Amino acid sequence: MNSFLSKQFPMNTMSRRLLRTLWPLIVVPLTVPALAAGAAAAPSAAGSAAPSSAAAAASSAAAAPVAPAADATGTTRSLDEGIQNLKKDVVDLNKDLFVLEEELLFPANTQVAVFVSMDVGDFFALDSITLKVDNHDVSNYLYTPREVAALLKGGVQRLYVGNLKSGDHELVAFFKGKGPHERYYQRAASIHFEKGVGAKYLELKITDHERAQQPEFEIKDWE
Amino acid sequence: MGLKHPFVKISGLRHGAVCALWLASAVHSSAAETGLIARPAPDFALPAAAGNNVRLSEYRGQPVVLSFWSSRCSLCAAQLTALDRYYGTYRSSGLVVLAVSVEDDPQRAVDYARSHATSFPLLLDQTKLVSRAYGIERLPTTVLIDRSGIVRYLHSDDRAGDPSYVAQIRALLDDTLGAP
Repeated sequence: MNSFLSKQFPMNTMSRRLLRTLWPLIVVPLTVPALAAGAAAAPSAAGSAAPSSAAAAASSAAAAPVAPAADATGTTRSLDEGIQNLKKDVVDLNKDLFVLEEELLFPANTQVAVFVSMDVGDFFALDSITLKVDNHDVSNYLYTPREVAALLKGGVQRLYVGNLKSGDHELVAFFKGKGPHERYYQRAASIHFEKGVGAKYLELKITDHERAQQPEFEIKDWE
Repeated sequence: MGLKHPFVKISGLRHGAVCALWLASAVHSSAAETGLIARPAPDFALPAAAGNNVRLSEYRGQPVVLSFWSSRCSLCAAQLTALDRYYGTYRSSGLVVLAVSVEDDPQRAVDYARSHATSFPLLLDQTKLVSRAYGIERLPTTVLIDRSGIVRYLHSDDRAGDPSYVAQIRALLDDTLGAP
């Protein structure tokens, strides 16, 4: 199969892998009608072991008469296995493509990612976060109650991913929501950071300050 | 005089270009409206008049009726009343109704929401980004989204009293194959 593909389609590795994954989609529709025709032609007779592949099933059904019910069950099982394998391959391929896309769109030497985490949240109900990088709006995210609940359970959200050139930059985050006593609450936090050759990860942390009975907003630079 | 002819020619060309652009934009806008059908509904998060935020993608797996309205539109009131009735009937079957206000003044929408208590969320699209994403040109406009988040029907008229409208809602509720 591989040599046939490489001869017929001179392609890069990813394209060849895609074709190899989708190959059963081309082969199965061609073999299944033949199988059905073979099964219809064969009258009831002695059973035989279930064939391992659809093509083998088609040839055996045409050559020797088999019990249609047993044959159909075996074929269904092998088709189910084939579909499950195909689904797994598609998931794997999707994962590879996602990683490839990330590497292409946000190379490590320019990548900046901002994450959000929340702890306790007794003094602050998050409504939205606005991000500014070097005085440019880069993100304005509204939080639904389900998203806030996920953050309070310990979830970490990637709020923003973008590209920045090496050098000094400033990130400002505006947090809006309901503060203590159900009052509208808006606070800002900022950080000056230096973007080097590697990817830069920043974390916006929302915590409760028990003594002050106020929420606390902090930006952490993950080196 | 000698200078006038080229100017007239250029002016004519300009008019032609403007006409061509207007035609292109008209074709584009109608294409944008019909182009939504059978495509994934643009996701959004909007603040509700009640206070919390609502994100469309959180209703994946449930059929969603999205109605764009304004307090200045007389047909919209009837549409919202009819939608409230349908929501009361089909809510237990999983139907979600979201009404998006395209009001310039959000306070008017909030006042309207208070005076016309509906059982579904009334959302405020102050920046008009959502109505632009859905290519809304007239009110009321209703978008019917299936369980997998695909736009199935789009109506730019008051069809709430039409029996086919209910049939479409029921078709969305019956379509379990569309579930992700």
